[in-house]
Amino acid sequence: MMKKIETSIDTLKKDIKEFYDYKKWHFLTLNGVALEDDMLEIQWIFSEYEVKNKIVVYYAHIKYDELIPSIVEIIPSAIISQREIVDMFGVEVEGSQKGLYLDEDSQQKPLSGCSI
Amino acid sequence: MKKTINIPIGSQHIALLEPVRFKFECENEKIVGVDSDVGFVHRGIEKACTTKFKYDAIGYVVARVCGLCAITHSMTYTASIEKLIGGEITQKAKYLRILLLELDRIHSHMLCLSHTCENAGFEAMFMRIMGDREDIMEIQELITGNRVQFDYISIGGVNRDIDAALAKKILSKLELVRQKVLGYMDEFTNNWSLSLKFKGVGILTLDDAYRFNAIGPLARASGVQADVRNEIDYLPYNEIGFKMQKHTEGDINARNLIRLNELLNSIEMCNNILEGLPEGEIFTKLRGKPNGESVVRFEAPRGELMYYVKANGSAMLERVRIKTPTFSSIPAFSHIFTGANYADAPAILASFDPCLSCTAK
Amino acid sequence: MLTSFFKALANLFKTPKTIDYPLTPIAKDEKYRGVIEYNQDECIYCLKCEKACPPGAILFVPVDNPPINEKNKKGLKYHYNPHLCIYCSECVRACPKPQEALWQSNKKGHIGIKDDKINDDWFELEELKK
Repeated sequence: MMKKIETSIDTLKKDIKEFYDYKKWHFLTLNGVALEDDMLEIQWIFSEYEVKNKIVVYYAHIKYDELIPSIVEIIPSAIISQREIVDMFGVEVEGSQKGLYLDEDSQQKPLSGCSI
Repeated sequence: MKKTINIPIGSQHIALLEPVRFKFECENEKIVGVDSDVGFVHRGIEKACTTKFKYDAIGYVVARVCGLCAITHSMTYTASIEKLIGGEITQKAKYLRILLLELDRIHSHMLCLSHTCENAGFEAMFMRIMGDREDIMEIQELITGNRVQFDYISIGGVNRDIDAALAKKILSKLELVRQKVLGYMDEFTNNWSLSLKFKGVGILTLDDAYRFNAIGPLARASGVQADVRNEIDYLPYNEIGFKMQKHTEGDINARNLIRLNELLNSIEMCNNILEGLPEGEIFTKLRGKPNGESVVRFEAPRGELMYYVKANGSAMLERVRIKTPTFSSIPAFSHIFTGANYADAPAILASFDPCLSCTAK
Repeated sequence: MLTSFFKALANLFKTPKTIDYPLTPIAKDEKYRGVIEYNQDECIYCLKCEKACPPGAILFVPVDNPPINEKNKKGLKYHYNPHLCIYCSECVRACPKPQEALWQSNKKGHIGIKDDKINDDWFELEELKK
């Protein structure tokens, strides 16, 4: 079943590094959910190989102007989800630039609560 | 002086069927760097799901994300809504859902194999597989009433029943296809242009498959035991003879063989379902509105598909996140390209079976 | 080498897989999903189909001379747009009188690729609805 673990952007890298064993855990994706009061929930979703229905979600509540740390050194395949989050929510993720779906200089942030 | 040259492949290219652009940085014949651009067909479906449509219509909206794995998309979305409402569907509906999912896998894998042949320059084989794929399309049309957009799965069950005469017809067609797939096995293992040429090209090692979170046939060809059908329990896959296919080489040939073996396994599963289909209703009316959040995964033909749905008890959902198989394989794709010959790039790309309308949903 | 020669020779006399389309019609199953058909005498104007339709291809709009039906108290008229319809038959499943008032035929809808401004009338109806 789905297990949610709270983390913060300061302790995220440490938490994920301790948790992530690349032969046991499969990194699914990075997800963002727009919350009320200009807050954003960022989720890092994992599942376990060969175990039924085991999903672990790390989440952190952040403001739109905060810098999200990158976990690419720990999980290389996170790069593509990080770029999507940058495009869709207009947030900043360490080392990921805009331009996967949108134009590089686009001001839009389609999925954020305060879209223009 | 700069030593490397940049050669793009796509977004329109004769050997490439999908609107994707790869920018290869080449040093002589070798690719040393890859940059990809996948956003050519972005349609904003995630946004539409939370602003334009009510939760009971979204099953039909997300089916339009992709034409090939339409049924997996609506299946995954429906499963997540059923989880949030908390209803149970009948056993017969579950079996019919698996039947359609597996038929979908068969025709999608056949499409991929035919494109692999085309990229190897084997046009006749391409035509042959595409012609045989027509049988599967006909079965799907007989069951659902349409060739491409099935609209078969709705919240609470499935939309159409199959009777004994239809089941018999499907079984005879599946047997024909099975014979043909055995013929392809022969071609793909013995024909020089489809087997030897592909051996040792586009290798993804086991360690890299884990490290880059490879999924689907790509991962299983490298030896990772990653099949979502093995990791879920809301569809009774273990009852109908599901066997995980695995190879260790991780090259294009291994991926082809994985797909061929999966074809045989899927046909066997379809036969088992049709022979032992239980009696009962195909639809249960589920009452209530979805509330809460759920993550549901499924094995699409290209790998793992994930839906995250957040609802607040009203008819409009708060968030629908679609993670498609090709999207999360892109880091693994880029890794395989690095170090390969530029001339192999179209063949390697075809062996990934990329689906860009899924990726840019 | 010899087998491939015989195979090639045999292929020359095989019938092609494709059909000569405009001359030979495509075989159509009787359960093929086609346009939705409607009988206004049987309709009870519960508007369930309008609510159930995912793309909104069914509209009941008030008109000046509505169809004569004792259930039709608000003076509504049924409108259907086959170009918007996705043929999912959610409306038929929602209908209290399926097969009598509303049913799915196996007829192919009109293909509107070459028509000009095909949905303009429909957009006017949608404006009326608001």
